[in-house]
Amino acid sequence: MSPNGIRVAFSRFFHRWGPGVGIFVTGSVALWIVLLIVLPQLAMFDASFRFNLPPAEIGGPRDLHTLSNYAALLLDGRGGINWLDLGVLGRTILAAVFVTILDLLLCYPIAFVLAHGTSGGRARLMVLGLIVPFWVNEILRAFAFRIIFGSSGVLNAVGLGLGLWAAPVDFIRQDVALYAGLTYTYLLLMIFPIYNAVEALDRNQIEAARDLGSPWWRVHWRIVIPVAKPGIASGATMVFMLTAGALAAPQILGGPSSLWFTQLIYQWFNEGGNWPRGSAYAVVLLLACILVTLLAMRVFKVRIGEIGR
Amino acid sequence: MSARGNVLAARGSVWRPVVARISWQRLLLLLFVAAFFAYLFGPLIIMTVTAFNSADYPRVTPWDCFTTQWFGRFGRDSLLLAGLANSFFIGLGVVLLSLPIGLAAAIALSEVGERARSLLYTVFIVPILLPGIVIGIATLLFWGRIAGSFGLGHDTLLYNGIFLTILGQVCFISSYSMLIFLARIQRFDPTQTEAALDLGATPGQAFRKVLLPFLKPAIGSAAVLAFLASVENYNTTVFTIVSESTFTTVLASKVRFGIDPTISAIAVIIITTTLVAAIIQEARQRRLAARRREALAGVAAGAGAAAVMAGPTGRLLSHPASVAVLLLAVVGGLVWAGSRYDSSACQDALLQQKLQRQQELLEQQRQRMQQQAPAQPAPVPSGAAPKPASPFGGVFAPNNLGLSAPGGAVPAPAPPGAAPKPASPFGNAFAPDNLGLSAPGGATAPKIEPGAPAAPADPAPATQ
Amino acid sequence: MSRDVTLEHVTIRFGSHTAVDDAHLTIRSGEFFSFLGPSGCGKTTLLRCVSGFLEPTEGRVLIGGEDMRGVGPNRRPTALIFQNLALFPLMSVAENIAFALEVRGVGRQARRKRAVELLELIALPHVGDKKVYELSGGQRQRVAIARALAAEPQILLLDEPLSALDLKLRQHMRSELRAIQRRVGLTFIYITHDQGEALTMSDRVAVMSEGRIEQVDEPLAVYDHPKTSFVASFVGETNVLPATVTGRDGTDVTLQTDGGLIVQGFAVGRRQYRAGERCQVFVRPEQIKVAPPEPGPNRLAARVLAEEFEGNLRHVSLAVGGSVGGSGGAPAVGALAVGGQPLRMSVVNDGSLPPLQPDAALTVTFDPSVASVLPEGPLARA
Ligand SMILES: Nc1ncnc2c1ncn2[C@@H]1O[C@H](COP(=O)(O)OP(=O)(O)O)[C@@H](O)[C@H]1O
Ligand SMILES: [Mg+2]
Repeated sequence: MSPNGIRVAFSRFFHRWGPGVGIFVTGSVALWIVLLIVLPQLAMFDASFRFNLPPAEIGGPRDLHTLSNYAALLLDGRGGINWLDLGVLGRTILAAVFVTILDLLLCYPIAFVLAHGTSGGRARLMVLGLIVPFWVNEILRAFAFRIIFGSSGVLNAVGLGLGLWAAPVDFIRQDVALYAGLTYTYLLLMIFPIYNAVEALDRNQIEAARDLGSPWWRVHWRIVIPVAKPGIASGATMVFMLTAGALAAPQILGGPSSLWFTQLIYQWFNEGGNWPRGSAYAVVLLLACILVTLLAMRVFKVRIGEIGR
Repeated sequence: MSARGNVLAARGSVWRPVVARISWQRLLLLLFVAAFFAYLFGPLIIMTVTAFNSADYPRVTPWDCFTTQWFGRFGRDSLLLAGLANSFFIGLGVVLLSLPIGLAAAIALSEVGERARSLLYTVFIVPILLPGIVIGIATLLFWGRIAGSFGLGHDTLLYNGIFLTILGQVCFISSYSMLIFLARIQRFDPTQTEAALDLGATPGQAFRKVLLPFLKPAIGSAAVLAFLASVENYNTTVFTIVSESTFTTVLASKVRFGIDPTISAIAVIIITTTLVAAIIQEARQRRLAARRREALAGVAAGAGAAAVMAGPTGRLLSHPASVAVLLLAVVGGLVWAGSRYDSSACQDALLQQKLQRQQELLEQQRQRMQQQAPAQPAPVPSGAAPKPASPFGGVFAPNNLGLSAPGGAVPAPAPPGAAPKPASPFGNAFAPDNLGLSAPGGATAPKIEPGAPAAPADPAPATQ
Repeated sequence: MSRDVTLEHVTIRFGSHTAVDDAHLTIRSGEFFSFLGPSGCGKTTLLRCVSGFLEPTEGRVLIGGEDMRGVGPNRRPTALIFQNLALFPLMSVAENIAFALEVRGVGRQARRKRAVELLELIALPHVGDKKVYELSGGQRQRVAIARALAAEPQILLLDEPLSALDLKLRQHMRSELRAIQRRVGLTFIYITHDQGEALTMSDRVAVMSEGRIEQVDEPLAVYDHPKTSFVASFVGETNVLPATVTGRDGTDVTLQTDGGLIVQGFAVGRRQYRAGERCQVFVRPEQIKVAPPEPGPNRLAARVLAEEFEGNLRHVSLAVGGSVGGSGGAPAVGALAVGGQPLRMSVVNDGSLPPLQPDAALTVTFDPSVASVLPEGPLARA
């Protein structure tokens, strides 16, 4: 947007709603973007290039820029590659992709049913049923999964009781609990964008295709999914980014051997006491997520402006 | 369409398989939807049930005694209550800041041209996509930097966890409220503003008297959403909260370091509140819709159409206020009944039963050990599994085993399956049950086996 | 004080598109003035320019002699009834009506009183506490007018206010609007694409086409003496006969139509036609009559093609082959004389004309003084 464009836009606010509203709109938006979004991110970016100094030395002669924090993620300090942390990063990204796909498979049919399979009171009830569980705290939802998947949890009790398996299965160590919990956490962010996109579809179009004898999967592949694509892109981006950045569910449901990358960052901040190192890791996480998202958008040919609609 | 249907119907052989296939698909879809909602609600329902089981580990089976004791614990937990108070203040602050910002952003979007809009929209949506912990870290570092450059100490506002948390949360919750306002503003008819101006209103008056009232429902839902998102946020808060705590961070540390039914009880309270709010809201919505319909019918067919609607009793019953009163009465009654309910008799009986059981087992084991001692110093774990003597049946068998292990005072009598994973939160498969037996006794009876290292007090040693 | 509205060479452009092209006219104080034209011809744009939502790209808008440039809509003595009414859905009817007073800081009591008065004026005394959505279409219409009147404008601008109503209500509201205008004595500037509305209600009508004002006249003059071929064909039904001038005597023009008929008409705007010039002759269907036995000009031999019956009127389609006494004889069936179109004749259903069988032969005529001759071309002016 050119400076002139900005000026025209601002003069339009002032003209349309008067000076009071104009100042309020431009002021609030500017404060939000500058003070709450851009500057903090820059501060984090800057911090990731600094040494971990005691507070007294910050701003002093030893407060210099360094790449050591990034080097620590890449190298293990003995001339080798830091496979441990890089592995965690890779596994986190892969797992997030997996959870995103799982969410898509679960949510697409639901969104479609919501848009075209029900109406009136039943649709309202369905929406209510979708929303209400998410009014419950994320921590509590994770806790519920722990009750279910614990080795003496409900699932094991049922499985053992029915004789399906002989010894308790450790679903938490197997990361089953983690995936179930993460998939659950961001369901809504997948359903509603798809719903919004699919709802615009003319029902006659589907029926016409059915009438012409198309099997149901072809109707979806050729007619519904193209319409749903912006919604799917939007939902998948949100689910992926938020899953990769999740902390609560991995902390509560993660197995002992499978760390989430966010947990590494958390450790650098809380237990390690090395904020610059943690910042560097956070920057890497952010960049990795953005990279994967942009890559996926490239592959599936969607634009970021379509997200959140 | 119908002609085509007739043709197909006439050729019955073609038509019938089509019908069969469709209904088969519908059935599958129905099953899927049912399974989906089971996935959504199952965990909540199970968690709810565990809140009423007297067992120390939140579980459904085996069922010990119906109890309401876990609810009482919540009320006495000062950490949680302090966190709750902080969460409330933070939520309030977030609502007060993120609503105006979201509103301003939505107005900005609705006013700018096509190209500027997509750019601005991207900027506004970014905070939703940023990982929460990135926002938290960035906020923490930035305001620390500001404080540092002004030479402010650690006791000032810029280091205050509540202040930082509000700012960190506002960063992304503003995007949520922007989306809500935007959805509403897009349905605003701009000629409304022009009409107001034309009638002599200043632009400011047009904003206050026409646009703002139109946005009022969005203000309500944005406020509720912002508050809920604030209270439940963990990823950002855990960094920005510094030395303070919120409801969610307290809850998280409880869940991470110890898992007990008190947390289920908290969940039950939250779920109940949610449900009550949802039902009242639904009643309100229906009433509004009905009123609107009625008014339209009134225009079309005169006053007589009103009689078509439900009678006075039905109307009174479906009024949101009476729905609210009814629900609150039910909940209040349940709370009252629950607070008077005493499960100690049942628990005592159960304890006695178990103690007795344990005695028997100890006795058996001692006898067996005496017989086997010369030949085999270690007990045979596998022999414990199919205990025919257990009165609790197969499901309970591991329980017995778990008890017998420490009770037997043998160094390592655990079955082989459990041995390799003692570090896991559930490493000792039987630990929680073990705990379940020993803890309720804690209040009424002495510990069964003080010397035994039973299960760890919290079966979730943090992996970090 | 005079509250004339003057448009001085007003041109409004959106980018390269010219929505209003050189509008130049004066609307007199107290007049019921209509802009009539097909949709998309720039009527709304012009009205928004008068009410202050748009500034003209060129030219000036004067109200009461004052240049309105830079004066916002909230400070002009105009009130606009929007095409979609733009009533405030969240306010009651009375609050809607009193809005103009509210923003001026008038007290609650006075507002209430004025709302009641205005509700009386629009004959809806008891709807003040209702919500807008509880009203019917016609009631909303009147409430919108009352709301505009509450602002005490000197000029009321109405943008197709009746287009959303059904036919019966529309006709009722026409007389209603006219009555309200007489009662309050304001200038009404009315926009419509419905010629019936424009002709029945207005003191004067401006006919617009593609941003240009084609003719400003009293309704009767617009209908009877269209100044351009667009006006002639847009306002009312008409027969168009492409023709070539053969002779002229003052304003009387003799022509040969492309079908070979010799007809006489009058030159609109006293235009001096030369022999051989291409032009068009416009004759209204109701001006075409069954010829009396005695001789006269414009006697055409015709054959009935079809008849449509519309209650009070009978519409007859005729094939005309030549002038009686000219090329002689009734035309062959199927021969079309009038630029490929049959000649349309409308007769009042008063029993004077016996039923017509298809294929029946008859002689029709029209008076040269009602046959407007205009130069050829869709936008040509006399
Ligand atoms: N804001 C605008 N931007 C661009 N073109 C416009 C705008 N408003 C109207 N137009 C164009 O100007 C022409 C006249 O429109 P309008 O005045 O609404 O016609 P009418 O009211 O006679 O139907 C139309 O072609 C329309 O597309
Ligand atoms: Mg228009």
